[in-house]
Amino acid sequence: MIADRADRSLHDRLTRGASAVAYTLSIGFTVVILVTLLCVVGYLFTLGFSSLSLGFFTHLPTGAAQGDVGGMKHAVLGTLILIALASIVGIPLGLLTGIYLSEYDTGSKLATPIRFICDVLAGVPSIVVGILGYELLVRPLGHYNGYAGALALAFIMIPIVARTTEEMLRLVPGNYREASIGLGATKAETILQVIMPAATGSLVTGIMLAIARVAGETAPLLFTALGSRLLSTDPNEPMPSLTVQIFTYATGPSPDQQKLAWAGILVLIGLIFVLNLAIRFAASRRVGSKR
Amino acid sequence: MSQLSATDSAGFPSLTATKRGFPFTGDQLLALAARGAGAVVLLMLLSLLTVLIHATWPAIKTYGTQFVTTSEWRPNELQVPKRNDAGKIVFDEDGEMVQTTLPAKFGALAVIWGTAVSSVIALVIAVPLALGAALFLIRIAPGKLRGPVSFLIEFLAAVPSIAYGIWGLFVLVPLLQKYIEPSILSIASHVPVVGERFHHFLGGDTGLSGRDMLCGGLLLGIMILPIITAVSRDVLAAVPVQQIEGTLALGATWWQSARQMLGYAKAGLFGAVMLGLARAAGETMAVTMVIGNNNQIALSPLKPAQTMSSLLANEFGNPESDLHRSALIAVALILLVMSLSFNVVARYLVIGRGPRRAS
Repeated sequence: MIADRADRSLHDRLTRGASAVAYTLSIGFTVVILVTLLCVVGYLFTLGFSSLSLGFFTHLPTGAAQGDVGGMKHAVLGTLILIALASIVGIPLGLLTGIYLSEYDTGSKLATPIRFICDVLAGVPSIVVGILGYELLVRPLGHYNGYAGALALAFIMIPIVARTTEEMLRLVPGNYREASIGLGATKAETILQVIMPAATGSLVTGIMLAIARVAGETAPLLFTALGSRLLSTDPNEPMPSLTVQIFTYATGPSPDQQKLAWAGILVLIGLIFVLNLAIRFAASRRVGSKR
Repeated sequence: MSQLSATDSAGFPSLTATKRGFPFTGDQLLALAARGAGAVVLLMLLSLLTVLIHATWPAIKTYGTQFVTTSEWRPNELQVPKRNDAGKIVFDEDGEMVQTTLPAKFGALAVIWGTAVSSVIALVIAVPLALGAALFLIRIAPGKLRGPVSFLIEFLAAVPSIAYGIWGLFVLVPLLQKYIEPSILSIASHVPVVGERFHHFLGGDTGLSGRDMLCGGLLLGIMILPIITAVSRDVLAAVPVQQIEGTLALGATWWQSARQMLGYAKAGLFGAVMLGLARAAGETMAVTMVIGNNNQIALSPLKPAQTMSSLLANEFGNPESDLHRSALIAVALILLVMSLSFNVVARYLVIGRGPRRAS
């Protein structure tokens, strides 16, 4: 009897001990993750701030490897052009696909595979998308060009915009649709004038999410837009971009150009941070969360 | 959009009012556009597959299954001394070595190996940490902490891979090269009996560059932490609260109850891990910057390696021949099929088990 009780209390103590260890580990692991990741971001921020200047946005590369290496005006502009071109194709197609999945053919034999394909396309490695861009628009044209880069970025945007759009439209309560149809509106009127306006904030979220994602992409641009040291506004030519320029400078031998790469990373992370904050703000105002 | 402003007899804005001679009503037009967009998505996947398979064909025809079973990757022809059947070098009358030319050769086993090993290292590091953090967010964190920590983790998941790459190149590589790897080597050489061999096996004689399989795997692990944490948190959040209350009512300790929770959600958690794996396998820029880019199978994690994606980033820009390009696209196809299957499994497992994520 006594031995049995001692056993049980030992077992009890071991169980409690194990639980305490696991509890501590769970907190510890979170701390480890946050500290590691903040180290990464903190390091990049510190370096970036020490090398960022106004000249980054207003100067072109001087061509010199040492000393005054200039700025990244060309790359900032190139990234903006590439994102704009990709958005012109990607956002309408993404929105329409989202509308299709949420409002038309929902659950039909065609919509289910398309929804699935969207999910799967979102997981295609970005370097493979770059190779597709190369095969579709660079090899036939015979030279690297901005259109190919924009196409690759649009390819990445479409599934993201489509799936967030679908989910946000689904959050709009069904009686909005019934009320609109009941008042005699057509389906298109219901979608464009009732459902989309009700979900505007969250639709913007999806679009910003997609822009934040492609703004940081490097791999799809390596073999499409290629990158360039010159200011270029003609998408039919090789286009510079922030990410590719950062990659070139960071892996190059010149310390002065590496500094420029750090400044570039700061600009990029800053942009993505702002977009994320905006997404959080927009998401907190979505229709579904009011209920 | 001019049709939007037209109103019908009841005064409602109407899309049914068609312009003269215009064949579609606005209603039909939107339906058509939406269906068209759906078709475009279908077309995207089809074009991806057909273009890659078409461009891969020369490599498949030349090498067949050898492409994935051999590891020799040699884009250029190679001059080597000719050897006879006995393996002796052949000399001509003047006593000069006879040279033969080996044709270019492409075998992807080394990069498949590189991708597999670096992804496994990444998972070994990331999965326990991420699950611990997900449990923290769901079971421990007070409400006030949950929001900011979640936001932070989601933001870190959005930090571009080139940023992680630069950090890896300037911080992780020197750290490994100067401090961590030398201590690993010195520990290895103090192992009784096999110490010297172990030291040699790890690559202690050839010098450490810091850019190696270990560094690549470590950086990948750090990069996939946020995504695995975020998805597992969503999966755990979907576990019915009665399950947890039940275990606690039966007197379970915190860990016993948490284990029940993990067990209940294990399919979804596995899905989260697969998503992380897909990310690690397809990750390009950061790995290219730190893995050393050496196209050989090395068993030691302290030797440079190459993954499928880093091979593509390094060589696709300047292929030596059409066959080289075709072989590179074959590597891309393998990478695509691999990450698609990870994604398919992950989506299947995570679907319906929590709030869906956008990307």
